[in-house]
Amino acid sequence: MRERIGKLLADGLKTQTEPFPETAREFSRLLDELYRLPPDDLRGKLVLSGFTDTPYGPERMRCQECMYYLVHRKWCDLPELAVPVEADWWCRLWRI
Amino acid sequence: MANLLWLQGGACSGNTMSFLNAEEPSACDLVNDFGINVLWHPSLGVELGENLRKLLRDLVSGAIPLDIFVFEGTVVNAPGGTGEWNRFAGRPMKDWVADLCKAAGFVVAVGDCATWGGIPATAPNPSDSQGLQFLKREHGGFLGKDFTSKAGLPVINVPGCPAHPDWITQIVVAVATGRTADITLDEFQRPKTFFQSFTQTGCTRNMHFAYKVSATEFGQRKGCLFYDLGCRGPMTHSPCNRILWNRQSSKTRAGMPCLGCTEPEFPFFDLAPGTVFKTQTVMGIPKDMPNGVDKKGYIALTAAAKNAAPRWAEEDIFVV
Repeated sequence: MRERIGKLLADGLKTQTEPFPETAREFSRLLDELYRLPPDDLRGKLVLSGFTDTPYGPERMRCQECMYYLVHRKWCDLPELAVPVEADWWCRLWRI
Repeated sequence: MANLLWLQGGACSGNTMSFLNAEEPSACDLVNDFGINVLWHPSLGVELGENLRKLLRDLVSGAIPLDIFVFEGTVVNAPGGTGEWNRFAGRPMKDWVADLCKAAGFVVAVGDCATWGGIPATAPNPSDSQGLQFLKREHGGFLGKDFTSKAGLPVINVPGCPAHPDWITQIVVAVATGRTADITLDEFQRPKTFFQSFTQTGCTRNMHFAYKVSATEFGQRKGCLFYDLGCRGPMTHSPCNRILWNRQSSKTRAGMPCLGCTEPEFPFFDLAPGTVFKTQTVMGIPKDMPNGVDKKGYIALTAAAKNAAPRWAEEDIFVV
């Protein structure tokens, strides 16, 4: 699955990296949208959450520092995403 | 023998319920072992009508010495500063409070309503409620910031929603047994022995806090409740994880975030749906940092913690 996601991103899947949810409320709204997707809609999840396969922004944010990243499992523990990830990836649900 | 009077203003009786459940010492121990004479209490007092009014008048006049006056609930000033919305024993409760505080050796405010105004004093505060000596963080309250009781102490604030049973009885015992010199108060007049440490002290989820592993739902047995669920344990002064509730539990141990109920700002945030049990963030970073941590330090700490997290930090370590 991780390889599949990596390939989708490497092949140039256009995802919604902006706008970053600046406040907790915007974050919650984005989670609600994710929650409404069918559980197996991987592409939809990637697009809506704005995945990139490189660190993002001037501060080079990445999954490695995100609250939901489980280091040893290389896994995004955010229930609405719950996908395997790489440490150098990023998405707009990043939070620290 | 110390005479104690307990009255309720704008209250839900939560602190009375808490008090009656005390164990170390219990409400009965106060009477039997520590010589406290409970003159009257809303749930225990037997006097009614004119008998009660006479008791209160005698306390105000000094005919009966009032050693400890315990007040629970807000001082209700509405409407228009008259206090008529909360009458008791023939007159506004706030008038009794003003007179009894002048006559009392010690005044103890129990619970958030009596200390800071609590939920009733939250905007728009229709009952025009105040705490005894604070209104939220503002020093002053109903009695004014310069008030001291006959013993020379300001109001002793024992906050909480409700206050833990043993915080109440232990402070009452300390006062009744002449150990007030042992009680040092913080800037909000809370006894330091209870309120110098944080709710986080003794929290069983501290390793998850350290390694930045988040709980995302109530009742989850792994993960820290701070990052997602609005837990205020790192910035709330209380011993909830040192002096356990019912000797065995606390909110965080049960998977429920700390609400910060011992702090003057409680209840926090704008109380809009979806904001109460959510950690408020700005650009993915918590709006309220753990006490003493700045944004830059927090980011650096997170990166280091994630890198150092052992494998077991990701496991569910609590076993029923």
